[in-house]
Amino acid sequence: MTTCQECKSFFPLDEDQAKGDCVQRVKDPRQAYYMAKPVNAEDDCSSCASFHKKEFVQ
Amino acid sequence: MKCTECGNVVPVKDFRYLYNARIDSSISIRQCTKCETWLAVDELNGVVTQAVGAGEAPWGKSAGIEGVAAA
Amino acid sequence: MTQAALRDTSVDVFEKNQEWWWAAEKKRSTRLDYLRKAIWKKGAIGGLYAPGVKVDLERAKLHTQKAKEMEASPDPFVMKFAKILAHVLDNKTIFITDQAQLVGYTGSLPHTMAWDPSCASILNEEAYNDPTAIPDPVDENQQVIREICNYWIGKSDLDKMMPVFDMEDLMKMLSGSIGWGVPLARGGYSNKDYEYIMTGKRAFGDIIEELDRKIDEVDAEVHKPGATAETARMYDKLNNWDAMKITLEAGIRIAKRYARLARIIAENFEEDPQRKEELLKIASACEQVPAKPPRTLQESFQYDIFIQMMSRNEAIEGAWPSRPDYYHGPYYDKDVNIDKTLTKEEALDLVGEFLIRAAEVCQFKPKWTREGLQGIDGTWVWTMGGVKKDGSDACNDLTIAFMQAARLVRVANPTFSFRWHPKVSDEVMREIFECIRQGLGYPSMRHDPVLIANSMHWHGHPIEEARTWVHQACLSPCPTTKRGYQPMRMANATANCAKIIEYVFSSGFDHVVNMQVGAETPDVATLTNFEEFFGAWIEQMKTIFSILVRAVNRARMLAPTLTPRPFLSGISERSIESGLDTCEPSLAQGNAWITAFTWVENIDSLAAVKKLVFDEKKYTLAELKEALAKNWEGCEEMRLDFVINAPKWGNDDDYVDDIMLRCLDEAAKFSKVLKCPSGNNWPILPENVSGNIHYANIVGALPNGRRLGDALYDGGVSPGPGLDKNGPTAVLKSCGKIDHITGGRAFLLNQRLSPTQLADEKGYQLWRAYMRTWADLGIDHIQFNMVDDKTLRSAQKDPEKYQEVIVRVAGYSAHFVDISRKTQDNIIQRTVQGLG
Ligand code: SF4
Repeated sequence: MTTCQECKSFFPLDEDQAKGDCVQRVKDPRQAYYMAKPVNAEDDCSSCASFHKKEFVQ
Repeated sequence: MKCTECGNVVPVKDFRYLYNARIDSSISIRQCTKCETWLAVDELNGVVTQAVGAGEAPWGKSAGIEGVAAA
Repeated sequence: MTQAALRDTSVDVFEKNQEWWWAAEKKRSTRLDYLRKAIWKKGAIGGLYAPGVKVDLERAKLHTQKAKEMEASPDPFVMKFAKILAHVLDNKTIFITDQAQLVGYTGSLPHTMAWDPSCASILNEEAYNDPTAIPDPVDENQQVIREICNYWIGKSDLDKMMPVFDMEDLMKMLSGSIGWGVPLARGGYSNKDYEYIMTGKRAFGDIIEELDRKIDEVDAEVHKPGATAETARMYDKLNNWDAMKITLEAGIRIAKRYARLARIIAENFEEDPQRKEELLKIASACEQVPAKPPRTLQESFQYDIFIQMMSRNEAIEGAWPSRPDYYHGPYYDKDVNIDKTLTKEEALDLVGEFLIRAAEVCQFKPKWTREGLQGIDGTWVWTMGGVKKDGSDACNDLTIAFMQAARLVRVANPTFSFRWHPKVSDEVMREIFECIRQGLGYPSMRHDPVLIANSMHWHGHPIEEARTWVHQACLSPCPTTKRGYQPMRMANATANCAKIIEYVFSSGFDHVVNMQVGAETPDVATLTNFEEFFGAWIEQMKTIFSILVRAVNRARMLAPTLTPRPFLSGISERSIESGLDTCEPSLAQGNAWITAFTWVENIDSLAAVKKLVFDEKKYTLAELKEALAKNWEGCEEMRLDFVINAPKWGNDDDYVDDIMLRCLDEAAKFSKVLKCPSGNNWPILPENVSGNIHYANIVGALPNGRRLGDALYDGGVSPGPGLDKNGPTAVLKSCGKIDHITGGRAFLLNQRLSPTQLADEKGYQLWRAYMRTWADLGIDHIQFNMVDDKTLRSAQKDPEKYQEVIVRVAGYSAHFVDISRKTQDNIIQRTVQGLG
């Protein structure tokens, strides 16, 4: 099972590495922005279409 | 009254009343229930004066004195 | 316009052609240009949302998920609610737009509208049935919405409140014939205790410390030997304080999430060093506020946005009471004039962005609200100018910067309303005039000395408090002080007053909704003189006002327990001090008012009946009753007689103006009989938003010559469109006969002026002279449309080309292309007044 912590978009919290943000770059028809959504390091992301493997896992 | 667009003939009251954009004039906007065209209706004489498209003002300009500065 | 054409045409040419929107595009900075174009249009077009704008399911899911999870929890409701709010803030998606310096939004993504499923299940059904607003994939999401809707049936605020209301009153109100909105403390117009929270003396961290002290003290107190009624009540206070603390802490945490996101972008994605620096500045601002008081203009704006965002996560807020030049002005002064850490241009960028951030705010609303507020999400009427608590001029450099920024970003919401007083400088007046002349439709002008006296007369606010007033919605003044501020104005005390005269002819039976709503006054055909007729009018007026007020009063009494506002309480001094919910009536001075929609139809109708039926005896009441029942069909000559041969309000004609004064006098007397739960009066406030269009198919034919279907007058004390035939001074003189202090709470007056006439210095001087007459007559409000017929007709024909034309609708402005054809025509029908 792949998990969020293996993903490039996952940024763990300093104080709790098991939690973090999924940070993505989005371009909608009007604007470009970065968005952050709280996720857990261990969340199953086998079906996440935005998953991009980190080059190395910390 | 006869619809100038599709020829439908029914009593004035059977043309769907939309609104009277100028309360002090007897021209109102009604809709032909057959072809759905918006029509300017002379309520006193019960006749269609014109079909109404976007941006048209069959009741004339605003009541006031637009262009007063130019005068 | 193509980019090439835009580039090749000079600002001068655009300004000469009065194409202000293109001129603005060329004049504003690249940042403001990007941010202005980046926002999604959230105001409904006509009554429908624009393509691409979607209901935000994330918030609804988070809210429902937490509510389910806590169903079996022993927590009192206020604690559960605070925890839900914290859960939403901790888990919602956040974003930072490119080039932005300010952050924070009610929904999860820029194109979404926050949907709170816990307010009213009737609203939820609208979310389910609004295919244009459901996100893709539609089928799947419709299923999600259905599940959320089902969960909240019987549990939403309104569902909980309904059984404890007077059912007969409620049915009459919900019929949609006489009222507008629902009586909920989490759905309406929410003022804030800005004197407590926005003066730089404290922020959330300080309040949390104060709450901790209070909780410790009371906790010790309840555990001392002894027990009294007061100790029994202390447990509720402890719960309320805990709930406030939970929401304030969540507020600090979400700000920190924005700080973290800004740092992640700066450190991992951004390559431009200047943008990196800006992102780090955003991070530092969000680490400072709302935990600690702001230090800079940017932080002060950021603090305000966070407060608004959190409050709008707690409730559906349809207004934005605010006084931004007054509360942010000291930071502008410090950064620009004293420390010189910001140039004027940089400050203008921040001010413009602050307007843009507010313009994008949106919460999903039912269709009747959207129709009443065509083109905007709510009435964000920001209060500018005015006096300080000591009576001195409160205008500052930021007042001017706001006027300049408004002309650059040209948003239709927020708009400004300016508190005029005799000490306002010519420089500020010229800036205001420039906004009006450039077709923004704002600022509207308010007579500060009159309205301060009015606040003292109607609600007994002490003068120092009255002087802090902001617009609680479109028009009504409300102080921003501990006792004076009103946490929630429930919109349903909005009377569709044209029904008063309509019901005189139907003995209170409403033929549009088919039920007895008004009083069973005698058959109108049996009335033999005008006094009897007017007596029936008074009876109907009292009946309608009472139904609406009873419902609000009941909801206000129940609000602290059934619909508490822990966050709003947490930023209210009276709640921090007392431990009671901020909606608790005993803590408030009371600042209620009845919005009187469609008021002037009564005056013109009464005058027409008096003249043609009783004075001239040309028609009988029986004949008139029959013509109205037929919607004037087949009676065109008679209808025209009632329009043309009866005196009309707004022409300085005492015959009809005296009727206006009599009606207001009767309403004012009854306003003092009606009392709010704080024991204060319920004055009326004639204005319309765009209710004149919403009610067009709800109000039947009237003696002023309107038919069912016609737009009603545009509201307040504005004359009927096209019926003010004696020029602008006659309009002012009619309005000046009203005592704007004791006659009612405020009176909206729309006027159209000619942009050509007011083009230059001569135009400004003409307008100043006109404004002097307005001020001398003591009229409390006036607002202007200054776009000519030609432009408006062209915009109807070719809406794509005229996307940015703004007009003043009623108490608010909107983009002309976003309002319905009927509303557009109604605006064009208004008389364009020539001055001088
Ligand atoms: S993109 Fe998918 S896998 Fe990657 S962090 Fe986000 S949710 Fe997890």
